[in-house]
Amino acid sequence: MNENENNFESLRRLMVLKRYETPPPGYFNYFSSQVLQRIRAGDAGTSANWVEGLFGRAAWLERLLQVLDVKPVFASAFAGALCLLLFLGIIYAERPDLTSQPVLQATTTTASLTAVSPPTLSQPTDQMGIVSSTSPVLSLQPVASPFGQQSSLAQPVSFSLSGN
Amino acid sequence: MIMSAPVTRTDDSETPAPPDEELLVRGARRGDLEAYDELVRRHQERIYATIYHMTANHEDANDLAQESFIKAFQALKSFKGGSSFYTWLYRIAVNKTINYLKQRKNRTHMSLNDLDFQAEHDPDLMALISDKTPRREAGLTELQEKLNEALLKLSEPHRLVVVLHDVQGQSHEEIAKIMDCNIGTVRSRLFYARQQLQALLSDYLK
Repeated sequence: MNENENNFESLRRLMVLKRYETPPPGYFNYFSSQVLQRIRAGDAGTSANWVEGLFGRAAWLERLLQVLDVKPVFASAFAGALCLLLFLGIIYAERPDLTSQPVLQATTTTASLTAVSPPTLSQPTDQMGIVSSTSPVLSLQPVASPFGQQSSLAQPVSFSLSGN
Repeated sequence: MIMSAPVTRTDDSETPAPPDEELLVRGARRGDLEAYDELVRRHQERIYATIYHMTANHEDANDLAQESFIKAFQALKSFKGGSSFYTWLYRIAVNKTINYLKQRKNRTHMSLNDLDFQAEHDPDLMALISDKTPRREAGLTELQEKLNEALLKLSEPHRLVVVLHDVQGQSHEEIAKIMDCNIGTVRSRLFYARQQLQALLSDYLK
């Protein structure tokens, strides 16, 4: 090792030059105060009103973007989650039994008001007058139509409309 | 003023820190900014110098040194005292600097500090100035630039070992603790880094 040290003697002397590279005069006089100032500013920032942080400067959004920017995995997962949500939304929107329900409910309300006599069903019915699937018995009694007309017969268990 | 004069401490880094430093650390952990101010003043020059020699850029060194101290303050609660505060602080600064240098890759811009006027009177340096150099000052400035360029060509771990050992005068043991590696690794990195530097600076070495 001593031989190596001797081989690098002139290099060692040259490295001494680095010790003479000094920052501007008085630089260290203000260094610690700047550090403390930044620490205090940081504390003030973290204890600031969260509402301002949430809506005012949208710092949470910046942080989210930073995380997504730094970690591609997070960005992929986030994009995947958005796609999944979109896909589920489309599927949900295209399901007729789910999407038509609110409309039917509204029309049923008016239909029940205009009905001459309330349907007398031997089977339990839901609000729309459709025979419940839990009691799969055909009923010949008329039920209230969701479209304001009297339907001819009760629907079969499979809910497929007659004539279709 | 000479930056980062050789550190006299050798293996005493793991021995308990002086009581006053322990008290300061305890106070800072409780949020006492005056105590932390004292800790910053104690270590600011060496932390700044290490980062500056790694980056060869005063502005970067200023930012990174400040951020290192801020991060250390925020992380003080996690400081268990397994090593000295000095070593722990160094690790934070070194990791921060290396991460920064990795991001800055291939975008090196030197912003060198001026040489202290005492450099002209250093016999070691004077021995290196060529007789052909018309003015000593110009020779030193040129040497400074070439030396920094050569250092920037080293990988970060090799540059760090050279800076800590040959510029700051830290022991192999202390460097191993800071870099979280064994002493053999430090020695081999130092040897390889010196070899590279010697080849890069062969025109300026007698």
